[in-house]
Amino acid sequence: MKNFNFLVSAYVAIWAIFCVYLISVARRMSSLQDDIRRLKENGK
Amino acid sequence: MSLAHSAATILAKELKTEFRSRELLGTTVIFVLIVLVLFSFTFNPTSSESRHFGPGLLWLAFLFAGSLMLQPSFLREQTNDTLAALRLAPIDPFSILAGKMAANFLFLLLVELILLPVFAVLYNVAILPVLPQLVLVLALGTIGLATTGTVFSAVAAQARLRELLLPLLLLPVLAPVLIASTEATAGILRDPSELSLVWLTFLCAFDVVFLTAAWLFGEYLLEE
Amino acid sequence: MAGASESRTSSEPAVSPLSIVVVFLLVAAASYGALIAAPEEATMGMIQRIFYFHVSSAWTGFVAFTMVFIGSIAYLRTRALKWDWLSVASAEVGVAFFTVVLVTGPIWAKPVWGIWWTWDARLTSSFLLWVLFVSYLILRTLVDEPERRAMVSAVFGIFAALDIPLVYFSIWWFRTQHPQPVMGDGGSLDPRMWRVLMLCWAAMLGVMTLLIRVRYRLEEMRAEVDALRMEQSRSAR
Repeated sequence: MKNFNFLVSAYVAIWAIFCVYLISVARRMSSLQDDIRRLKENGK
Repeated sequence: MSLAHSAATILAKELKTEFRSRELLGTTVIFVLIVLVLFSFTFNPTSSESRHFGPGLLWLAFLFAGSLMLQPSFLREQTNDTLAALRLAPIDPFSILAGKMAANFLFLLLVELILLPVFAVLYNVAILPVLPQLVLVLALGTIGLATTGTVFSAVAAQARLRELLLPLLLLPVLAPVLIASTEATAGILRDPSELSLVWLTFLCAFDVVFLTAAWLFGEYLLEE
Repeated sequence: MAGASESRTSSEPAVSPLSIVVVFLLVAAASYGALIAAPEEATMGMIQRIFYFHVSSAWTGFVAFTMVFIGSIAYLRTRALKWDWLSVASAEVGVAFFTVVLVTGPIWAKPVWGIWWTWDARLTSSFLLWVLFVSYLILRTLVDEPERRAMVSAVFGIFAALDIPLVYFSIWWFRTQHPQPVMGDGGSLDPRMWRVLMLCWAAMLGVMTLLIRVRYRLEEMRAEVDALRMEQSRSAR
C-alpha cells in the first residue's frame, strides 16, 4: 500500500486529461453548431 | 535555365543585397557576442567549466542568432512583392529556395567563423590546433540550420506574429542539431581531441533528410 | 445552391454508440489487467502499474503523429481539405496522449527515484515531441485563411514528423555517452506483463480513434461555417 496515492493520482490524471480534452472539443462543437444554425437562419 | 544556374543567380542576388547594406551581418555578430557575454555570467568561466559548458552555449547562441537572422530572408521579398516577380521567371521554383538557403548558409557560417576566435579568447579554449575539425562541424550544423530555417521563414512569412513564430518552429526541430553539434564540438575541444564519427554522420543524415524534404515540399510554400 | 448541400456536415453522430461501447470495454479490460491481473513488479511495487498506460500512451501518440505526417503529404498531393482536417485532429489527439506521458512520468518517478523529473532519454524525447506538435497547433492558430493554413501546416507537419526519429536517436545516443540511472523497465518483461501492455495499447488506440473521429467532425463543421459565411458575404454584395 506504499505508493497507493501516487498510483491513484496517475490514473485520475489520465482520466482527467482525456475528459478535459473531450470537454474542450464538445464546447467548440456546440459553439459551431450555434454558428451554423444562425448562419442558416440568416440565409433564409 | 538549369536548377544550379538559377539557384546560383538567386544566391548572387541575395549576397549582393546583403553586402550593399551589411546591417544584417553586423547586427547578428553583435547579437551572438551579447549572448556569449551574458552566458558567461551564468557560471564560473574557469578553463575546465568553460570546456564543459562552452560548446553548448556557443551552439545555443548560433541557433538563437539564426532564428532571428533568417527572418528577413522572406520578409524582404514581401515588402516589395518581389517574390511574385521571381515566381514568374522560367525557373524551377525550388531554385528560389535553394538560392536563399545557400545565401543563409554562407551568412551564418561567416558569423560563426567571426565569432569562433572571440569565443576562444573569452572562454579560454584552444581552437587553432583543431580548427579544420571545428569548421567541419560548424559547416554541417549550419547546413541543417540554414535549410530548415529558410523553409520555416517561408512558413512564418504567411502567418501572424512571424517574429515570434520562427524561433518557435525552428528551435524544437533543431534540437537534434544542437545535441549533435555540441557533442561533436565538445569532443574536438577535449584533451586529447576526438572527432566523433557517430555525431558527424548524424549531422549529415539530418542535413540530407531536410534538404530532401525541402526539395520535395518546399516549393508549395512559394505558391500564391 | 448546390454548394450549400455539399458543404453540409453529416447529421449522423461522429462516433457510433457501438464503437463507444467497444472502446469502453477495452479500456475496462485493460485497466483491470494493469491494476489487478498483472503480476506485481518486484522492486518498484504497485507504482509500476502506471507503466502500462504510460508506455501505451506514448506508442499511441506516435501513431497519431504518423497520421499527421500521412495527412500532410496527402494534402499537398491532392489539395483535398479533408486531409488537413485529419492532420489537425491527429495532432491535437497526439498532444493529448503525450500530455498523459509527461504527467504520468513524473508521478511514477517521484516515489521510485525521489525526484519529479529525470532527464532520461525517453521522457526528454517525449517532452520535445510534445513541444514540437504544440508548435504545429500554434502555427495553425496564426494563419486565418483555410487553404493557406492547410498548406503551411502540411509543410511544417512533414518536417516535424521527419524530426521524430532524429530526436529520439540523438537523445538516446547522448544518454549512452552520458549515462544516468535509467528509469522505466529495468530489464525484460514477464510475458504476462507483455500481454497486459498489448491490451492497454489496443485500448489506447481505440480511444485515439474515437477522439480523432470526433475532432475531425469538429473541423468539418468549421469548414461548413466558413463556407456559409463566404456564401452569405457573396450574396450580400
